[in-house]
Amino acid sequence: MKIVTLWLDGIWDRNPGLIQLLGLCPLLAVSNTLENAFGLGLATLFVLVLSNASVSLIRNLVDDAIRLPVFVLVIAALTTCAELLVQAFDYPLYQSLGIFLPLIVTNCLILGRAEALARREPFVVSTMDGLAQGLGFFLVLVSLGALREWASETLILAALPPGAFIALGLLVALHQVIQSKLKHLRTQIIANTKDRRVRTTGDIS
Amino acid sequence: MTLRLAAFGLITSLFVGVIYVITKPLIIAAKEEARLEQLYALAEPLLVDGAIQTPVRKELASNAPATLERPLLITPIANATDQIGSVIPFKSTEGYSGTIQLLIALDQNQRIIGLRAIDHKETPGLGDKIDTRKTDWILSFNGLAYRDLSPDDWAVDKDGGRFDSFTGATITPRAVVNALKDTLRYLDENPDVLEVGQ
Repeated sequence: MKIVTLWLDGIWDRNPGLIQLLGLCPLLAVSNTLENAFGLGLATLFVLVLSNASVSLIRNLVDDAIRLPVFVLVIAALTTCAELLVQAFDYPLYQSLGIFLPLIVTNCLILGRAEALARREPFVVSTMDGLAQGLGFFLVLVSLGALREWASETLILAALPPGAFIALGLLVALHQVIQSKLKHLRTQIIANTKDRRVRTTGDIS
Repeated sequence: MTLRLAAFGLITSLFVGVIYVITKPLIIAAKEEARLEQLYALAEPLLVDGAIQTPVRKELASNAPATLERPLLITPIANATDQIGSVIPFKSTEGYSGTIQLLIALDQNQRIIGLRAIDHKETPGLGDKIDTRKTDWILSFNGLAYRDLSPDDWAVDKDGGRFDSFTGATITPRAVVNALKDTLRYLDENPDVLEVGQ
């Protein structure tokens, strides 16, 4: 049950890009083309899963005094590895991502998940959470990239920085609309079940 | 706990070190491939009747500008009988952040055939307009030779020269134009530098 909630939270209910609004800097900067968005999304997913996993593994070895420096150390090491790997296997992508690849280290989503969850939860749960949150971030990044690349053919604004804010705003609004519809549906169902209970108690009294 | 922190530092550094050693040859190969690709794109007009030759390293005299690396790596382009051009790297350290690595293709009259910024860390959205992936600014030098313009014209328009400086990011184009000027002037005064005996 907990795993299901983790996945729902990461991809929809508490999506890092649309609800928590974390990691906005790369989200807005690199989403001008689908390819860049895809590449940075994958790299972030990679770092997030491995950082959640390693933080969870070492959670009993660090106390409060050295917790933060150790987590930052882990995240920085993983980001450097991601940078080296992208450089080795997709050099053109490395060139077009530029500074935003090493900047994954400052993505607050990653330290946020380490602090909020991975330092307390066992290995499997933490890794799953990394996957779910990373996938949520990846999906938003890719949707934003696709939306902007598609729109920029007719509207040059979509490719420019202000276009990134507007496009993200539209995605957040869409998410809110669907979310409130879902909530409405959920309360209706709960209300229906409550109705029956009221009748039952009524019968008894 | 301090010891433990140091241990974590050591472990993570070791981890990065291992990945570095594994990926190093791959990265060098990828960089070389990207460089060659750029070389072909850059010298394309010369390749109609010429071919890229093996690069040659050449020592420079002490009066050579700092924009040229020593020894200078010259990639000659030659047809059956003569050297018809060359590609050389040069750099500017006056950019906004880090070194701007550039590559230039010249014909035998030292006319610019192509110019590219191949590696730089200039500000995205401002200074990175020197990159052909962002704007065509750097192509505006094509066809020029050092003697086509007066020395004062070899500068960005903000400094009274001929070339466009981007709004809000003059440092980057100024760095490129000044490095280009120094390089071209030196080659103009010492034309034999580019000559490579085959």
